[in-house]
Amino acid sequence: MSRRALGLALCAMIAGVPALHSQGTGRGAAGGRGAAAPVPPPAPPGDADTLPPGKYFGVTEYDLARTKLEKLVKPGGFAVYIVTDMEGLAGVVNNGREMSTGRSGNSPDHQRFRQELTDELNAAIAGARLGGATQFFVVEGHGGNNFRNVLVDKVDPDAILLRGWPRPNVMETGVNARMNMMMVVGNHPNAGTPGIIAHSYALGSPLTVNGIKLNESGISAFIGAEFGVPLGMVAGDDSYAAEMKETFPSAEVVTVKVAMSGSGGAMLPLARVHAQIKAAATRAVQRAKAGQLKLLTFARPYHIAWCIRNTFAQPVYEVMAKPAGFIIKPDSASGPRCFTYDTNKAEEIGTIMNLVEWAALKP
Amino acid sequence: MRSHRYRFPVAVLIVALTTAPGLSAQRGGRGLGVPANNPFQGKGLPFEAGFRAYIVANMAGMGAAVDPKEIMSGTETGAPAQTNTAGYADYEARFRSLATQEANAAVRGARLGGARSLVVSDAHPGNGFGNLLPWEMDSAAILIRGTRPLFMIAGIDSTFGTLMFDGAVASAGSNGIMAHTFGFDAFTVNGKRLNEVAIMALIAGEMGVSVSMVAGDDVAIEETKGMLPGGFVPVITKYAVGRIAGITYSPAKVRQMVAAGAAEAVRREKAGAFPPFRMDKPYRVEFTVQNGMSDENIAQVAAMQVPGLTLERNGPRGFRFTTDNAKMIGYVIDAMQPVVIR
Repeated sequence: MSRRALGLALCAMIAGVPALHSQGTGRGAAGGRGAAAPVPPPAPPGDADTLPPGKYFGVTEYDLARTKLEKLVKPGGFAVYIVTDMEGLAGVVNNGREMSTGRSGNSPDHQRFRQELTDELNAAIAGARLGGATQFFVVEGHGGNNFRNVLVDKVDPDAILLRGWPRPNVMETGVNARMNMMMVVGNHPNAGTPGIIAHSYALGSPLTVNGIKLNESGISAFIGAEFGVPLGMVAGDDSYAAEMKETFPSAEVVTVKVAMSGSGGAMLPLARVHAQIKAAATRAVQRAKAGQLKLLTFARPYHIAWCIRNTFAQPVYEVMAKPAGFIIKPDSASGPRCFTYDTNKAEEIGTIMNLVEWAALKP
Repeated sequence: MRSHRYRFPVAVLIVALTTAPGLSAQRGGRGLGVPANNPFQGKGLPFEAGFRAYIVANMAGMGAAVDPKEIMSGTETGAPAQTNTAGYADYEARFRSLATQEANAAVRGARLGGARSLVVSDAHPGNGFGNLLPWEMDSAAILIRGTRPLFMIAGIDSTFGTLMFDGAVASAGSNGIMAHTFGFDAFTVNGKRLNEVAIMALIAGEMGVSVSMVAGDDVAIEETKGMLPGGFVPVITKYAVGRIAGITYSPAKVRQMVAAGAAEAVRREKAGAFPPFRMDKPYRVEFTVQNGMSDENIAQVAAMQVPGLTLERNGPRGFRFTTDNAKMIGYVIDAMQPVVIR
């Protein structure tokens, strides 16, 4: 048995989930797609790689996660949903030892940039609070350390964290209509953009909705917009800032660094960045309350198109090409690893990206 | 008596200590060169008002450091995923922080002297040009880190009032501490030997920006005086007594000296004391790559593609080219980095 399979079994035991007991496929009957997908039969442990995360980690339905989160939102307040990532933090340039724990399990730069993530998050929370926000839901969107990067002992005590993975829709878990505004810190430019650690999930080129390119933040904001949650504030490098200004002209955009290569650039002083994020978050909440933030909308049905990065080995790609429960169409005209999917629900984009991510990142 | 010529030992050390066999073969297919349409080339820095000081922080020439293990993480080779380990203890636990504080001293001094916009370039290739600690930087300074075009003085332009070197190293072949000139054993322009400071001074000089301070070991300071006739404020932070040995001050003392030097440098620069460094055009550039390079590495350099430039071979390890644009020299140095940090 491979070490990974052993690890999966151990994780499943710790999580109290029988390894082969089906908890659903990650997308079940509540999904709202046209055709009901066949549930794949339980596979022997050796084939674990081809199974969706729900099999081993008891991932709930997106709808269930949303219901759980909704219950935590107090009526009458102003709830902010904050998506966090790390590649777009001030100071970050290197996708190696700055972004994950690595082989040694202790990369000092990664540890310190977790503090920077927490600092920028805390600045966003403090600013939003000044603007009148009362609740802060924080989703951990960075894969290094398996989506557990915010320092729980250093984060603002009012923050409610969504941490660990797999869980439904990694960057917009449970976002719902009771949220009043979305903010993003630490996200990066789209795949193919000249910017620092530019990428989009496991894709080789930008995902498009009805032909419009969306980066990771754009996908999250689109899903939030369907619930009526506008994007208020984002922070990242100058390339990311330009992308966001184009797609979300009403949002506050903070530039934390200027890209000079995919792994280098001019870093604005961290203290200045924190102050700018705080001020921008305050303005964002004020503008949300004044109804000045616009929702990103597209005509239904949404025509989604994406291409998997060609660097993934064939067996990994084959898992990515079959997001469980979705019937996607190959789009060979756009490339050998390209697909399209039509839907009326924006959240399904997040679910497909989550399943693609699963093949790339399996814990 | 002159000892035999020393090469900067980092590349050699890195190969000896950390490189798995076959790494250079993996690199082989990629080739060297500057992409023809590099979208980042010539990209400017955020503008800030007031007198602008550009500080090159080169850890190789910082106070107290004498050994490559103090200035390299040991994780520089390979793809990012492979560099994901803890580095040398002295580098990680002490010298990165000390280098940051020394750069901060230069920032503090420059501000005292009258500078209002401060940019620090992390110009040393350790840890992927990520040596200085962003969270310990002076909160007024923009920090340039990571790989980038014209890496030592990335983003500099005519809006800057002065260029300062905190951590100059003596040229390859001299008896300075960790003496080296990028990946070269010899480097001349119009027949004149230039060290790293002087090469950068030539590029900046074309934009009208002059060098006002050089801090480093005594050998680096003395040779730079001979190369930059316009002068500068010299700050000797250590004295070489061997290639990896020196007479050093405490870091606190070094910071005092650097801050005082930077303050004086900006004051005198504002009074017009230092003319930009210029040489006659066209620049006839000749260089010899490091003796330690393999035949394969030398072949890579020979096949190097830098748009707008024709590289001629003039010896087993020797090359030459002619240009009217000093930036092209910087792009050649950029293109060679994958071979130097191998």
